Amino acid sequence: MRIGRSKKPNPLKWVRFRIIIVGAVLGVCFALVVARAFQLQVVEGRQLQSKAEDRYTKAFCNTSKRGTIYDRNHTELALSLDVESICADPTKISSPKQIARPLARALNLKQASLSKKLRSGRSFVYVKRQVNPAKVSAVRALKLDGIGFRTESRRFYPLKSLAAQVIGFCGTDGNGLEGLEFRYDAYLKGRESSGTIIKDALGRSFAGESSSEGKPGYNLILNLDKNIQYIAEEALSEGVRKSRARSGIALVIVPSTGAILAVAHVPRFNPNAFGQYERWLWRNRALTDSFEPGSTFKILLVAAALESGMCTPDSEFYCEEGAYRVGRNVVHDTHPHETLSLRDIVKYSSNIGAAKVGKKVGPAYLHHKLEEFGLGEKSGIDCPGETPGSLLPVGSWTEIDAATICFGQGVSLSALQLGVAVSTVANGGLMMKPYLVQKIADIQGHTIKSFEPTLLRRVISRENARRLTRMMMRTVEEEDGTGVKAAVRGYHVAGKTGTAQKADPAAGGYAAGKYVASFVGFAPAENPEIVVLVAIDEPQEEHYGGVVSAPVFRRIVRETLRYLKVPPEVVTPEHADPHFNSPQKDIRRGPEEPLRVSNEEPKMG
Amino acid sequence: MKIGKVSTWRHPMVAIGIALMVVLMAELLVYTWCRVQYVRIGYEITEATKEHQRLAELYRRLKVEEASLRSPERIMRIAQQRGLVMPDSKQVRVIP
Repeated sequence: MRIGRSKKPNPLKWVRFRIIIVGAVLGVCFALVVARAFQLQVVEGRQLQSKAEDRYTKAFCNTSKRGTIYDRNHTELALSLDVESICADPTKISSPKQIARPLARALNLKQASLSKKLRSGRSFVYVKRQVNPAKVSAVRALKLDGIGFRTESRRFYPLKSLAAQVIGFCGTDGNGLEGLEFRYDAYLKGRESSGTIIKDALGRSFAGESSSEGKPGYNLILNLDKNIQYIAEEALSEGVRKSRARSGIALVIVPSTGAILAVAHVPRFNPNAFGQYERWLWRNRALTDSFEPGSTFKILLVAAALESGMCTPDSEFYCEEGAYRVGRNVVHDTHPHETLSLRDIVKYSSNIGAAKVGKKVGPAYLHHKLEEFGLGEKSGIDCPGETPGSLLPVGSWTEIDAATICFGQGVSLSALQLGVAVSTVANGGLMMKPYLVQKIADIQGHTIKSFEPTLLRRVISRENARRLTRMMMRTVEEEDGTGVKAAVRGYHVAGKTGTAQKADPAAGGYAAGKYVASFVGFAPAENPEIVVLVAIDEPQEEHYGGVVSAPVFRRIVRETLRYLKVPPEVVTPEHADPHFNSPQKDIRRGPEEPLRVSNEEPKMG
Repeated sequence: MKIGKVSTWRHPMVAIGIALMVVLMAELLVYTWCRVQYVRIGYEITEATKEHQRLAELYRRLKVEEASLRSPERIMRIAQQRGLVMPDSKQVRVIP
């Protein structure tokens, strides 16, 4: 029975066996896949990931746009635009000479120096930066290997030379180098963005990830007004041209706030091509350079005299008939006077009278008041390079120093300091801090920082400021005043002329025939809207402030008041306004006194 | 045999497996659709960003041009060419 029984295979068993085999094979395969995945994902994961990322991602670093500088009416004075720079990768250039020839021709470069650059072996060199679009197109058309293009930001000054010394300029890398561009560089610059961008097989970017968010620079809104700035620059240019002077400065200040509406310089320079101009033209000389003010300084002397209580406008001083001995020196007046009242000393600009006023007030009190007017210290204006001027300590004043300082020699200050001091008188004795920037705002216009008018101190009483204003009005409005050429039809004007010899640091003493002719004043006199200062350096034809600078002052005041829509306060019939028709005659009757000190013993080294 | 087949399809594990497969397939399709959309929108954002930058740059260039055209120097030159002069104080009427 056992032998006869045929052994039948069990089909279920065979199926199970096959399942096990297939399962085992699949299991091994799965294990291999898992192992490979482990190797790729874990063991070599990072390395492979970075390799892959190199192929489809690209790092980027975008420089942010530099903020715009606006005038007070939101006209662009400085803004940045994209321009292309042409660069090269010398490692990818096989024949530098062949590339250099057409490239140099297209860009007006020297072929030899360009070839040298392309042979440098570095992986990146600039061929030419910030190239104009026509030249970029010409280079693109050449389709040269190893030559690339990079977009950069370039600063443009659309109004060219207008307020160039105030605004300053930027270098090729977009850093502020001069003026407000330098002072507010941190605000204007913004923050660059960087990160990675994903690219497809065709090199098109379609998504990116920023590692640091960029931020455009903040905008500056200035107190400058482009129209007043233009008025001041044009009037000053005319004055400098007519007098064949070396240079000139004009300032327009709002006395009630200290806001600077215009700072004009002649000669001018174009900040779009600053490299083509001499360096001294770049400076904001209205606040970086100091000069001896001459008779305009008598405003401060008389303010101190009134404030001391020792003088009134009617106080009389004997003016020694034109020659006054001080120690071993003799102070002269151009026109001899016997006795003059304080108000006449201002009107006729008597140096001897001023010296005697100073003597009466006393050096200590005078020095104290001059310090209060801001002499010898920076005004704190928001512009770089301000000079504090020079005011000797009262202890070191000699007898002749004490006399000459009274008529503005032996003391130096910047045009801005003088302008601010006269603004104090115009503002009823209150000194305001001068400022150029009224607001810093972000790109949406939200205020980041706001600058308000800042009261520094009261220097003289309101009553004394009013008395002094009246004295200054006589200088301009009375026919024999030294400043008649500054009179403006329709408005009362208060002002003072100044003519100062220039110091000669090389030879010692004063340079022969070199003067600074100045005029400073304000209008309308009773309710001043603007203070204007004009200083013209080394005029050749005439050198009196009343002849050279007063007409410039008049033009600036007339056109600025009209622009500011300040209505005329007085109706001046033409026939009753003689100095409009014969100003030359009036000036000849009463020029202000330039310094005339007999140098029996030179006092300046 | 018929009974056996019926019993295989009705087996709960098979049904769960099929449902899981359907869900996985659906998820795969949704995921793929999302990735395609992501890429497409990425391209669109890039294009829009470029267009925005182009227009912003154009705006800035136009601002430069406007500032140049409105410069006081140019306006004064044109005014003088047309014979315009500054009004004298006598020619000004103040309207209260």
